[in-house]
Amino acid sequence: MLTQVAAGRVYDYSHTVGGGQLEDNCPIALALGADDVVYVCCRGREDISEVPWNRTGADAKVCRIRVGAAAGDEELLGEFGKYGDGDGQFIWVAGAALDSAGNLYVTDEWMNRVSVFDPEGGFLTSWGSSGGGGGQFNRPSGAAMDADDNLLVVDSLNHRVQRLSKDGTFIAAWGSHGNGMGEMDSPWGITVDGEGYVYVADHKNHRIQKFTPDGEPVAVFGEFGDGRGQLRRPTDVAVDPDGDVYVCDWANNRVQTYAPDGMFIASLIGDAHELSKWQQNTVNANPDVAKARRRVYSTEPEWRFVMPTGVEFDGARGRLLVADPQRARIQIYQKVEGYLEPQFNL
Amino acid sequence: MADKEIALMAHLMRRAGFGASSSELHERTAVGYEATVEELLRPDRQKEVDMLDLLRYHPWAWKPGTAQGMGHASWTYRLLNTQTPLQEKTALFWHHVFATGVSKVDHWDEVMDMIDLFHDKGMGNFRDLLLDMAKNPAMIFWLDNNENHSHAVNENWGRELLELFSMGVGSYTEDDVRECSRAFTGWTITPKLPRYPMGRFDWGFEYKDDDHDHGEKSFLGHTGRFNGEDIIDIICEQPATARFIARHMYNFFVADEAQVPAWSVTPPRDPEAIRALSKALMDNDYEIRPALRLLFNSDFFKEARVSKMKSPAEVVIGTLRMAGGSEFPAPGLGMLSRQAGYMGQDLMNVPSVEGWHTGAEWINSGSLMRRTNFFAEVMGDTERPGVRAIVDGMRSKGDVPPGEFVDGCLNLMGPLEVDDRTRGQLVSHAAADGDLRWAPDEESESTERVSEMLQLIVSLKDYQFA
Repeated sequence: MLTQVAAGRVYDYSHTVGGGQLEDNCPIALALGADDVVYVCCRGREDISEVPWNRTGADAKVCRIRVGAAAGDEELLGEFGKYGDGDGQFIWVAGAALDSAGNLYVTDEWMNRVSVFDPEGGFLTSWGSSGGGGGQFNRPSGAAMDADDNLLVVDSLNHRVQRLSKDGTFIAAWGSHGNGMGEMDSPWGITVDGEGYVYVADHKNHRIQKFTPDGEPVAVFGEFGDGRGQLRRPTDVAVDPDGDVYVCDWANNRVQTYAPDGMFIASLIGDAHELSKWQQNTVNANPDVAKARRRVYSTEPEWRFVMPTGVEFDGARGRLLVADPQRARIQIYQKVEGYLEPQFNL
Repeated sequence: MADKEIALMAHLMRRAGFGASSSELHERTAVGYEATVEELLRPDRQKEVDMLDLLRYHPWAWKPGTAQGMGHASWTYRLLNTQTPLQEKTALFWHHVFATGVSKVDHWDEVMDMIDLFHDKGMGNFRDLLLDMAKNPAMIFWLDNNENHSHAVNENWGRELLELFSMGVGSYTEDDVRECSRAFTGWTITPKLPRYPMGRFDWGFEYKDDDHDHGEKSFLGHTGRFNGEDIIDIICEQPATARFIARHMYNFFVADEAQVPAWSVTPPRDPEAIRALSKALMDNDYEIRPALRLLFNSDFFKEARVSKMKSPAEVVIGTLRMAGGSEFPAPGLGMLSRQAGYMGQDLMNVPSVEGWHTGAEWINSGSLMRRTNFFAEVMGDTERPGVRAIVDGMRSKGDVPPGEFVDGCLNLMGPLEVDDRTRGQLVSHAAADGDLRWAPDEESESTERVSEMLQLIVSLKDYQFA
């Protein structure tokens, strides 16, 4: 269904931004900038050739995209970074967050570092090293900025969250390996809500943990499974201005939504029933592809999420953006206010 | 613990797996040979490799399309991490038999799905497996059964089903090929969403009744309005089928046979072994597990040490598992996954439906150099935990003369059996630098000497055999 009504909320499928420069590139994480600009972290892939590993990857980069309000409005503003271990390059680009000045912090979970870029993508600096100490990382993944303009980084295989200043100075950390409250197992994505609470996708514990700004665990969302409200290997989390929580339920190929008190609301499974502008360009340029699409019994498999990895809520526009890397796109939903249901027996 | 028991366990683990470390061999020998065979036959009792861990770092490995390095990555990752080596070895076995290649299918993910099927069902029932193959989209496309129509028969699948997947040349006629093919008309694949603009989608099997030839067929002495399943039932009634699969099992797990196309004119190397395996298959309604149990517990298997050339996949995976350090799917997994291909066995991309020629045909001047260079590079890395464990094992022996140095390394690597002349050459080489000593000022050099000895050993002809 393109409009989903549940528990007093309404989610309208809006449109998709995908294909083009995202095609073949696994867009795994998003960061929301000013003026409707979305920074899209593209993981790229390994290609093969008889050259050292740090030259075998293709298309690791960050795209700057203006998403627009409707299908066809999208605009590629630019892209930066490429595969490699040099300044401004990525091996395993993983997560991103923006500070109040609009600078972008991008984690690289192979290089164990954070690279910093200006709003147009100019490389500024990078910091971080391998290890388990303060300011050191073991596969840093999700990133979020707190209200004090400090960066929270999910230090995944150290099973903790680190708070660092914008220049990488260690401030605090919490979490350790385990499945008790406050413990984590290979966490991935992270977000901060309007009140400063921190939500972490506790990936291998199949749950979201909510922490106070100081790292005290206060709530858990989800449990292992594929049923209502359950999660399998969640990857990312977002919170809207109403406090509703959105979770990329990776291995179940869906986005789970919860009320602030943890009550399950609904599952979004992907509704991209129309091609994006760039996807349509590709089809138009390949007559055999157009024919093959007419030959299939249904294009519905195209609509659905496949292992979504990134979710952000654009509070200013009341919309949810989901990174759907295997389908090289972002699916966008509108959270509708003041919706009136048509009569049911219409 | 007797050396011969360890050596026998090493033999089992090389054939039913990809080798085992010295400590694992000691643990398994303490448990016992037959108990180890039983454990290997029950992968469901072991922990599966977590494939989501791979996709977490390499999302592209989910449906790699035509990206070659990523195409091999999933299987390589599983082979490097598996705790159920016989399950993986059996999947590799069926990949040799039901040889299907991405060169034509052009979707790694579809061939990967076939490998997953071998992984899940490879120790199950052969009849079921044949039926799964007849419905497998990659196989259907590989052998053109989507072009096999009631009004226009295509015999490719029907022929290979008889020639290479069940009975072998000489057990059927051209008429049987025709009738078999007619029975599989209408066994096709659903149209697939195209690869552009958003990547690969699954193919599915589809039976089109209106494209099936419902007429009467005569096949191997039976007459009826046969459909594909009837044909597979008749095939499995034939002793030739059991013999053919038994010979494949012997060739893969016991000792190198003649190449498959020569089987109709070349008798088996061990006819009694083939008879025993055939009987096990027939007596157990083509269940594979009892035949494997018989094989690994048989004298003909136990006596077949060092009589089989390791395939590139076996030797690459075995070496990487021995050296350790490749368990995490680091960048470069794609390249690592290609190594067996560079040595002549491009997994999931067989040269033809006949599969790979095995035995001595694995080796030529190019592939041997590839083997030597790669293995030497791996074993020369003393940061790898398996290499480090061997170095530590040698250190624990204290200072030793060259003969014990060589024997210690051979033992910790296998134990690996080499002839006297080869051993003599290794000892002679070691003797040039004297005894292996572990005094603090000599430790670094001795570590290098051990690593160099390991590099020499993996370059030996003997190391290429299992």
